Amino acid sequence: MMEIKSPGLWTTVQDMGRAGKYHLGVPPSGAADKYSFMIGNLLVGNPVEFAALEMTLIGAEIEFQKNTIIALTGAPMKAYLNQQLVPFWETIHVKEGDILTVKECLKGVKSYLCVSGGIQVAEVFGSKSTYETSKIGGFQGRKLTAGDRLEMNEPLPGAFKQVGKSIPLELTPSFESFQELRVTLGLSGYLMSDEGLKAFLNSEWKVSPESNRVAYRYTGAKVSLTQQSPPFGAGNSFSNVVDFAYPVGSIMFPNEEELIVLHNDTTTGGGFVTIGTVISQDLDLIAQSRPHSSCRFIAVTIDQAMQARMERRKKIEQIEEMIKR
Amino acid sequence: MFNLPETNFHFCGDEYIYAEISREMRVESNFKALAVTEELRRRNIPGIIDIVSSNASYLVRYNPEVISARDLADYVKEIDFTKSDPAGLDLSVRIVEIPIWYDDPVTKEYSRRFRNRHQEPDLSNFDYVMKVNGFTDKQAFIEKHSSLPYLITMVGFLPGTAWHFPLGAKPSDIIQAPKYKSPRTDTPERSVGIGGAFNVVYPVQGTGSYQLIGMSAVPVVDLSDRLMDLKDTAFLARPGDIWKYRPVDESEYTAIQARVSSGDYRYKMKVIDLSPIEYIAKGKEYIEELMGDF
Repeated sequence: MMEIKSPGLWTTVQDMGRAGKYHLGVPPSGAADKYSFMIGNLLVGNPVEFAALEMTLIGAEIEFQKNTIIALTGAPMKAYLNQQLVPFWETIHVKEGDILTVKECLKGVKSYLCVSGGIQVAEVFGSKSTYETSKIGGFQGRKLTAGDRLEMNEPLPGAFKQVGKSIPLELTPSFESFQELRVTLGLSGYLMSDEGLKAFLNSEWKVSPESNRVAYRYTGAKVSLTQQSPPFGAGNSFSNVVDFAYPVGSIMFPNEEELIVLHNDTTTGGGFVTIGTVISQDLDLIAQSRPHSSCRFIAVTIDQAMQARMERRKKIEQIEEMIKR
Repeated sequence: MFNLPETNFHFCGDEYIYAEISREMRVESNFKALAVTEELRRRNIPGIIDIVSSNASYLVRYNPEVISARDLADYVKEIDFTKSDPAGLDLSVRIVEIPIWYDDPVTKEYSRRFRNRHQEPDLSNFDYVMKVNGFTDKQAFIEKHSSLPYLITMVGFLPGTAWHFPLGAKPSDIIQAPKYKSPRTDTPERSVGIGGAFNVVYPVQGTGSYQLIGMSAVPVVDLSDRLMDLKDTAFLARPGDIWKYRPVDESEYTAIQARVSSGDYRYKMKVIDLSPIEYIAKGKEYIEELMGDF
């Protein structure tokens, strides 16, 4: 059992997300920064998908009521075990009664607390991830509050041999305040003028504070739509298309000065002009981008997108090899 | 065969393929999306994660470590060419009655609360939709809106939300409405909205940009396991189903609500075989035949 003494700003249970229910309007949810999440699980000897806690900007204070091993990964929050500073990206032994205090981060947004064996909550539609809008999954379908008591599974056999293992700095994310996000173009991009497309790719976009697990909003530049009359059934604005199922990572323009990128808790469909899709690796970067930080979008081909995916997979395999027991 | 242009395919990031059947909304496009996605689902291909049929398009999510993007695109294209014949589409669907209280106080109050995001701040959403569709008489509008059956053409947005589109009507005869200029941050659960040529019943409280014209007396999602008709899936809407609105007044609305709360409510439903080919051939006449005295 772990008891939440203080939940931090926004802490939820997440895993690698839900599959197969998108046609019912159920988004994948799951860890916002999957790379950090997977490394956390590897450090404590778990398969990459075991459920863990996702913390946002300010971490939680937690009392462990079991002898186990944990790892903190993701945005570097200050963390203390019984008032002793503890490192991120390293496997730590905790004993019954120990108190872990995770404070704020100065870079990045999301941090993960993984425990050996994983957090034990019921699966809903095949996943333990929290989807708060519909109160599905996780711990009672919601973010954690003080006094919540979460079951932890037994540490996996041999897990304690992981204590002290760590990830070299060059394999951890850098949490820069400027990100380059790779996108494949397409969808209803025909409604964007050539100048509009240039402005989209050549401008810096700033993260708005309204961003969250559903979608990231950006402002700071202006594009132009072609102003052709919308197709039948779409509604009468130049930014309306016939509603369709949105890919996660979709980049849409409700108007010429607001850009939205859909994230893991996305609404699964809608009808705004959508000009491309951020590749899945770079959704991790978006999740770690702080309000008012900036980014630029880089157009890539499907082959380059697959190359990027392969490179990340190799990194994970390298880490797996490095820290396996 | 349907008279439809060639489907446009797009790679979206490293996990999705989007297929656009037509840019404008057509019932034929929706039937084709259902036919193709049903065939794809039936084949149960390893590595396909999600298959979503939507209004005039469909979406496939896949794991590129199991299937290559290009191979899957070729595979889906072949199904799109060869298996979209509506004759092969066997739609056993349900007609479901949705009792609705039009121009009710709750949606009026929301019209007032979010007036600063609206095209015409001084009108309620109901009055605005009447106006942009050329109605001056409330009863005539209600009669028009509730007389047509609606095809569920897409499910999503939030779990349980179903887009529905009128069957058997000429495009010029369809009630339409612009979406809000900027989305509302709040929408009441069970409110009925119109955006473009589509209707939705909002399943839960949340954001929304459609014009609100009334309240459904019955839920479209039940996670509490209370209602017998929603025990299987928790969600009322299924793609291909037909919904029919029936206007109710305040007292009947309240009575139905009480039966929903106690768990006694049973949806008025009828299972039918919907033939896309007959719909394309006969249109309105076929729909009237199907609906019978429902």
